[in-house]
Amino acid sequence: MRRRTWQRQLPNYVILTLFLLIILIPIVGLVFSAFKTDAEVTKGPLALPSQLRLDAFKDAWTTGRFNFFFRNSVIVTVVVVIVSVLLSTLTGYAFALLPLPGRKFLYPLLLLGYMVPFEAVIIPLYHMMNQMDLTDTYWALILPQVGLSVSFGTLWMTSFFRAAPRELVDAAAIDGCNRWQLLWRILWPLARPAVLTLVVLTFMWTWNEFLLALVMVQKETMRTLPVGLAFFQGRYSANIPLMAAGSLIVAGPILLVYIIFQRYFIRGMLGGAVKG
Amino acid sequence: MKKFSLLSIIITAALLLSACAAPAPTAAPAETAAPETPATEAPVATEAPVATEAPVEEITLVVWDQFYRDVESQVMETLNAEFAAAHPGVKIERVVKTLDDLKVTLKLALSEEDGPDVAQVNQGRSDMGAMVEAGLLLPLNDFAATYNWSERFSASVASRNSFTEDGKTFGSGNLYGVSPTAEVVGVYYNKTLFEANGWAVPTTFDEFEALLATIKAAGVTPISFGSLDGWNAIHEFSAVQHLLVSLDYINNFVYGVNNVSFDTAENQEAARVMQDWVDKGYFTEGFPGIGYDDSNKTFKAGEGAMTITGSWLTGELLTDTDQEFGFFLLPGNPDQTRLAIGGVGVPFSIRKGTAHADLAAEYLDWMISPRAAELWAGVGMLPAMPMAEGAAVEVDPLFTDTMVAWNTINNENAVGHYIDWATPTFYDSIVAELQKLFGKMTDPAAFTAAVQVDYAAFLAGNQ
Amino acid sequence: MKIQQRWPGESRFKGWFYLLPGLAIYLVFIFFPILSTIRNSFYKWNGFSGTREFIQLDNYARLLGDAQFIKALTNNFIFIIFYSIIPILIGLMLASLLGRKPIRGMTFFRTGLFLPQILSMVVVGVTWRWIFNPTFGLLNTGLRAVGLDSLTRPWLGDFQMALPSVGAIGTWVMYGFCMVLFLAGMQRIPEDQYEAAQLDGAGGFRQFLHVTLPNLRAELGVALVTTVIAALRVFDLVYVTTRGGPGDSTLVTGFLVYRSAFQQNQLGYASAVATVMTILIFVISLVILRFQSRQEA
Repeated sequence: MRRRTWQRQLPNYVILTLFLLIILIPIVGLVFSAFKTDAEVTKGPLALPSQLRLDAFKDAWTTGRFNFFFRNSVIVTVVVVIVSVLLSTLTGYAFALLPLPGRKFLYPLLLLGYMVPFEAVIIPLYHMMNQMDLTDTYWALILPQVGLSVSFGTLWMTSFFRAAPRELVDAAAIDGCNRWQLLWRILWPLARPAVLTLVVLTFMWTWNEFLLALVMVQKETMRTLPVGLAFFQGRYSANIPLMAAGSLIVAGPILLVYIIFQRYFIRGMLGGAVKG
Repeated sequence: MKKFSLLSIIITAALLLSACAAPAPTAAPAETAAPETPATEAPVATEAPVATEAPVEEITLVVWDQFYRDVESQVMETLNAEFAAAHPGVKIERVVKTLDDLKVTLKLALSEEDGPDVAQVNQGRSDMGAMVEAGLLLPLNDFAATYNWSERFSASVASRNSFTEDGKTFGSGNLYGVSPTAEVVGVYYNKTLFEANGWAVPTTFDEFEALLATIKAAGVTPISFGSLDGWNAIHEFSAVQHLLVSLDYINNFVYGVNNVSFDTAENQEAARVMQDWVDKGYFTEGFPGIGYDDSNKTFKAGEGAMTITGSWLTGELLTDTDQEFGFFLLPGNPDQTRLAIGGVGVPFSIRKGTAHADLAAEYLDWMISPRAAELWAGVGMLPAMPMAEGAAVEVDPLFTDTMVAWNTINNENAVGHYIDWATPTFYDSIVAELQKLFGKMTDPAAFTAAVQVDYAAFLAGNQ
Repeated sequence: MKIQQRWPGESRFKGWFYLLPGLAIYLVFIFFPILSTIRNSFYKWNGFSGTREFIQLDNYARLLGDAQFIKALTNNFIFIIFYSIIPILIGLMLASLLGRKPIRGMTFFRTGLFLPQILSMVVVGVTWRWIFNPTFGLLNTGLRAVGLDSLTRPWLGDFQMALPSVGAIGTWVMYGFCMVLFLAGMQRIPEDQYEAAQLDGAGGFRQFLHVTLPNLRAELGVALVTTVIAALRVFDLVYVTTRGGPGDSTLVTGFLVYRSAFQQNQLGYASAVATVMTILIFVISLVILRFQSRQEA
């Protein structure tokens, strides 16, 4: 019996493995390249590096100033994640459970931030930031990113709160909870999976954000990792091992966060689908 | 790596640059200049900039440059440190960008009140022209007179950094920038391969094409090339174009004066040559899918006999390779005009609203000082300005080749242009059209006609 | 809707207190710049000089006659095939292979297949440029190794293959994502629906068609909206791999906006393109969502 199940599933495993390989091969090539010399790279991405060289990582970290960039990325990401998750919780709660005149019109308004091609919006945003004297500060990266994250976060948290059990809300009201207590004492503990998902998604998007960080910040010491990475990709020369090592430094923390939170992470991608 | 001092060439270069028209004997190449001469440490030939007297207020000069690669960056660091040392109270705040970054962010930054004091501004209409038109750059004419910059640059070089005040006419009017480095587009060749096969450096275009056939027959890729990034395809085409067109034509064309057209027999001929080379398999196999850097990587590794690009590649070809490389100008036939694409690198400009214009001008002067020239030559970059007499810098034979090439075109008054400076959209249209040309999606006549549409539209709108 | 009723003695505007902090940041830093963009689309402006010229609808008129815009828009729609349709089909297939019940190694496959989503597009683009490299890239060396030399191409530089090649990168990024979506949805389908279908004599494929698919409506809707928006907004990937070339064979509207705004000093025109695209994306998303919720009801 067990043997038959296994045999029946074999073709499934073959197909799954095939599609997994398609995903993994480029990533493995990237990892290998980081340990090679520039000349070795031309021998093909899947050729093993002749030895385990860490030079590219060291170069990226020190001469590439990735140590600086890493710090900036961490600061910006942590602030954005905390602020936008808290604000999204409040807005999502308002949309789902509170009396809110204008709801019908506010919802699509918030959606808009999600749909506009940002390449054109960034220039008026820059001029505005400059008038506020905010360019070249962390705020120039944090505030717009919070705005974007709240736009998604609201949709996300709304769908969670809508699915919250009615009886719980009614019972809380009867028990004399006010709205504030209902949110933080009763619903927030329940929202843990949804919140963690939002944390991870916001983390991922903020960490990988490029155009905003490129335009809003000019000081080298204020740059974030993706901008620092693009710096390697200059006009007249590009060093593949260095690029690969840099890419891995950029992807590393997300990979870590992803593996730790992967259950929540995947659930998060369901977006509106979680509606009860 | 062989390195030796190259005094005579450098001094000749100095003479040539200051007096382009006057023909001077071309410097005897390398051999006579002497491997025998010991590579002496040259005494520091130049003085640091004059120190300002009396303690001054603290000033921070914000400078944006695009010398982001290692060796170049070190030159900038050295120059900045020496400038700051000579000016008590002055601090230089350096912001390094890639040219791509610079193009995205500089216009925005210069339009703000707290923008950089000094910045490298790319030439051409879409950058310097647009910024002049928007009133973001300070005209440098007065400083040029004060510091006698005309002794360091020929009029032809200055016009590349000049616009009329409305930003509409390129090549004349006010001076808006000074360039520290020079560039010339020519042919790098793999000496190791050439010697092994007994190939000789060609002296006419016919010889060059014959050589391409010979190399191809020997089973080697004649021209290492990749057009995926687009911009270097312009150089491939334009290098041949420059052999055919007159200096007046290319000046008129780039500066947008006298109503010339792109749709000419010469340009069609250059386009025809490109397609001919594609047909005969002279370019790297699969070149449309290869990026510029990847193409250079394989060239450096010994694949491909030649590559057509600018002198900025020298530094790259001197490190991490067991091959030896040389450089020559794409040769023309006796009846051809034999121009070469060349010019000066991205210039330094001053923001109009800066509070430290005088200091910024002094900084610019330092950027094009003999000391700067010496440092640039030391890292294999062609300095745009003469070095001090007696300065001796250790250079590589490959650098000597590029220096000779640069001197030659200056000497013969044959310095052409980057044609993509011509209009703000020219780069995008010619790159797209060239990719079609190389991919045999269009023919030479249709190619020149399509590019002319862009150019004519610009001329009409710029009146 | 009843759930959002006022509690006794509560302000009508209670929700606004909770909404305000988040909404304020969104309005100032996202919505206001969007309004500026719409305003800029009626001007001739390079984006940085002090003067701008009001030209009414000229930018929009130009856009309609711009062959490049039409080409870019067409490419965006072709990208929907690569970003949406193919990944959704592969995702459905993989999800149904992994089954409704957890099988051995499920976490492993799920994690691995989702990986491309977390990489930044710059990294993805750079990696694939190496794979597509005609000389030392994996694809051509692989084809040569198995004797298929005739199939080798300069992929990203080939007029026929460049668009499908860039599209394939999109497929690569998206199919694991779609699979994971469907997998999560499938686990919520009540087992008795399958049992009932089995009793009716439905085989594996008919079960999939009549039980799995209808139950995945919500997930299909999310997958479609997300991937279609990604296809219509694509910029980074094209910027890193081909910059719209060869010729204009991979030009997309996102790149057109970038190029007009940053390289050609035509912010007005870029804003017009961006405005049109926003409206288009908005309408398409609403249609998909409307369609999905109508089916649900």
